[in-house]
Amino acid sequence: MVKTESATPERSASMLFAGAVVAGALVAVLAGVYGQVHDPASETTIKLFFTTTLHFKSWATTAILVLVILQLLGALWMYGKLPLFGDAPEWVGPMHRLSGTLALLVSLPVAYHCLWSLGFNPDPGGSRRYWHSLFGCAFYGAFVTKVLVVRSKRMPSWALPIVGGVLFTLLIALWLTSSLWFFRQFGIVV
Amino acid sequence: MLRRFVSWFEMAALLVVAVFIGMLFLNDPTAPPGTPAAVVEAAGGIDGGALYGKSCAGCHGGDGSGGIGPRLAGTMVKKFPDAAAQIAVVTDGRRGMPAFGTRLSPEEIAAIVEYTRTVLGG
Repeated sequence: MVKTESATPERSASMLFAGAVVAGALVAVLAGVYGQVHDPASETTIKLFFTTTLHFKSWATTAILVLVILQLLGALWMYGKLPLFGDAPEWVGPMHRLSGTLALLVSLPVAYHCLWSLGFNPDPGGSRRYWHSLFGCAFYGAFVTKVLVVRSKRMPSWALPIVGGVLFTLLIALWLTSSLWFFRQFGIVV
Repeated sequence: MLRRFVSWFEMAALLVVAVFIGMLFLNDPTAPPGTPAAVVEAAGGIDGGALYGKSCAGCHGGDGSGGIGPRLAGTMVKKFPDAAAQIAVVTDGRRGMPAFGTRLSPEEIAAIVEYTRTVLGG
């Protein structure tokens, strides 16, 4: 009897997490399907004061990387994993949310150009673009899963660090296959 | 105070996300100039415009206005008075531009070059 009572909430939490993963996977697949089905517009979009849209995208992705590193540090601080800094002050939580939201906003024009103008590259032979396409779609899927995990009070305790870690890893992979490639090809120019 | 601001900011961000998703479906791209029948015929029936859209537009823009690659519209004849020189660049590549000689036939490259020199305004 006792075993059943303790097992049920745990199972329910795991099912809830599975639901969040499925929702994220659905978003990732939908992004990939759109990128594949939609005829690439091959047009420049937003570039602000940068030379081209690709310059803008490279720097925007770098800015997102900085924000996501701040996210990671904030999360570690809140969960007491930065013992040298002591307990996290009250403002760390809201700032963590703010930097995450900012990162999402900055990513939107980047993803828009990727999906609308360039499309999904399904050719594994075109290695960098193929992997970048996969990482990009997976990133938004992981983002949705992370938001669902953060918002729910009934998720397993291990869910958030795992999803956060996946999201961070995907962003690093995205930066390596886009901004770093661009800077190495064309130099660190604005 | 900060928490309330962050909550409003998140709501606004959700709206922006919705706008971007809408734009993915509602924003019609500017149609690249089609290849006139005479140009297609002169290129042995190969549609240089369609090939341009697949192989070149991603870097040079659908209308040749440039992107990561330089502007082509209105510049090619002046830059390459001899079309053979432009064909050589497309075939062998140059600086950041990949060589298309291994991906496209000489006839296809010639059709693309003709398209950039005529339809895109030379």
